[in-house]
Amino acid sequence: MRERDPIQLPVAGLLAVIAVAAWFGAGYFGQELLAEIAILAIFAMSLDLLVGVAGMVSLGHAGFLALGAYATAGATVFWGWPPAAALAFSVAVAGACALGVGLFAVRLGGVFFIMITLAIGQMFYAYFFKARAFGGDNGMSGTPRFDLSPLGLETGDPAVFSALMLVIAGAVYVALLLLVRSPFGMMLTAIHQNENRLASLGCPVRRYKLAAFGLGGAIAGLAGALMAQHTGFVSPDLAFWTLSGEALIIVILGGSGSLVGAAGGAAVFVMLRDHLSDGSFWEGLRLSGDIATHWQLVMGLFFIAVVLLARDGLYGRLSWLVDRVRSAWRGRGGGA
Amino acid sequence: MSEVVFRAEGLRKSFGSLRVTDEVSLRLPAGRRHGLIGPNGAGKTTLFDLITGEVEADAGEVFLGGRSLNRAPPDARARAGLARSFQRNNLFPGLTVHENLALACALKHGIGHVFWRRLERFTALWQEAEENAGRLGLADHLGQRVSTLAYGTQRQLEIGLALVQEPLLLLLDEPTAGMSPEETSGILELLSSLPESLTLLIIEHDMDVIFGLAERITVLDYGRVLLEGTPGEVRGSDEVRRRYLGAAH
Ligand SMILES: Nc1ncnc2c1ncn2[C@@H]1O[C@H](COP(=O)(O)OP(=O)(O)OP(=O)(O)O)[C@@H](O)[C@H]1O
Ligand SMILES: [Mg+2]
Repeated sequence: MRERDPIQLPVAGLLAVIAVAAWFGAGYFGQELLAEIAILAIFAMSLDLLVGVAGMVSLGHAGFLALGAYATAGATVFWGWPPAAALAFSVAVAGACALGVGLFAVRLGGVFFIMITLAIGQMFYAYFFKARAFGGDNGMSGTPRFDLSPLGLETGDPAVFSALMLVIAGAVYVALLLLVRSPFGMMLTAIHQNENRLASLGCPVRRYKLAAFGLGGAIAGLAGALMAQHTGFVSPDLAFWTLSGEALIIVILGGSGSLVGAAGGAAVFVMLRDHLSDGSFWEGLRLSGDIATHWQLVMGLFFIAVVLLARDGLYGRLSWLVDRVRSAWRGRGGGA
Repeated sequence: MSEVVFRAEGLRKSFGSLRVTDEVSLRLPAGRRHGLIGPNGAGKTTLFDLITGEVEADAGEVFLGGRSLNRAPPDARARAGLARSFQRNNLFPGLTVHENLALACALKHGIGHVFWRRLERFTALWQEAEENAGRLGLADHLGQRVSTLAYGTQRQLEIGLALVQEPLLLLLDEPTAGMSPEETSGILELLSSLPESLTLLIIEHDMDVIFGLAERITVLDYGRVLLEGTPGEVRGSDEVRRRYLGAAH
């Protein structure tokens, strides 16, 4: 284990420094972006646990995000629960549903797993689309944010809220990193590599996959609850498969299985979208501002380039580079 | 004769119309070194698959230590005391030798579910993995990723993972295939140093290996037991010579 993944913590530290610097530098709009990045990072890391660590490629992960968001919206608006209690409820609901879905899903492998998670995610979408109580396809607004007034903090202030989101994202990251580095996390990694052999060594593989799926769903529910608080609004689109796909892209872009890569990927994704869809960004490059309307095309080209040039994502390339530099340096040191 | 530790009764398996295992029964007393031989396609590996639960039998039953294993999936059978090495290397290619062995150790000690403590902190486990690596002649490769190892070295680890489990019954599927002569003799030495109480069922095409190691041998042909006997009886059998030994030599 000694030398495994040596750049994980340095990269995490770097990201943290960047986040803090961005927080100090950001204006109103920047704080909104930061909060969005932090929440998306939580969601992406929860998917990375499934996809990158345990090797379960889910295309329905947004279903659990939406469940969390709706659970928070319902509990706060209909029942008048405080947002913190609603958040715990969201995590529990999403986690429990993920366990229920996982009971069936983890029996399947490969493309069948992708298909069943896709189908179940879309079932959540269809349900929320029809759910009158939650405003059907119009969605529903009015979800309040945490009440931190006893601490003298006003979460309506974007700077306060984004700081809170960054802290929560950091906590989720640390928890997941500890998990991944535990015996259980090692088993998940081994399941990814060769689940049959792991079973023949005595590991109850399905149960472990189920646990990971439930945990991933619970954390996606947490991200959903925070998203509902952030925008004050929930809609069926939160469950739509394209959001699962976006999270998958973020995981792959960042470097699947690297956790911190998923967080970094979320930042790159949000920043890119923000710039590419902004006409003045293109004009700044002395190009037509109209390109901004085709930002998704440009983003798509970017992802194709990443997948072709860096199959292991940004994190993977960085690891590789550091490894190269180190061995070159060591080689020179040894030769001298 | 000591107590029967493993028993297979009337195992049958067909793939489509091809009958690959046909009424195979086998009894192994504790500590037996038992060989399993037969021509290519005789159903030797499939018999292992049926014993470990990797393939479901059409009929028949398997007992370990008096308990029926029939409904148990492979992982439960492993926990009950079965360990197996595979004919084709079946490892964790992205992990190091040390990590591969530590995984097996963690599962043997039943700590695979522990999520609240870092694996790195289980120093006794890493120590045990390292000792096993030494025993297997893998000490020099501890930190190397399995995918970067030479074939023969991977083969040693393949056997090593099964040995780490300290099973009641150890199943080895052509362990020395593809190994260099030195590696082969290393493994043979290792196998002869195993505890007396361990029961071993070994498939091997190398007749020197099998006749040197096994106390009794079962010969499979077209999924059926052609003969079971001592190495001398097997060597002396005209039918075995005609069906198998003649072809192999
Ligand atoms: N999953 C499967 N589906 C269909 N046929 C199979 C399957 N597994 C094995 N067979 C067939 O069953 C027969 C026995 O195969 P098996 O691998 O058990 O033989 P073996 O005795 O181990 O041979 P070898 O010495 O070549 O390893 C072969 O004809 C093989 O093609
Ligand atoms: Mg075989």
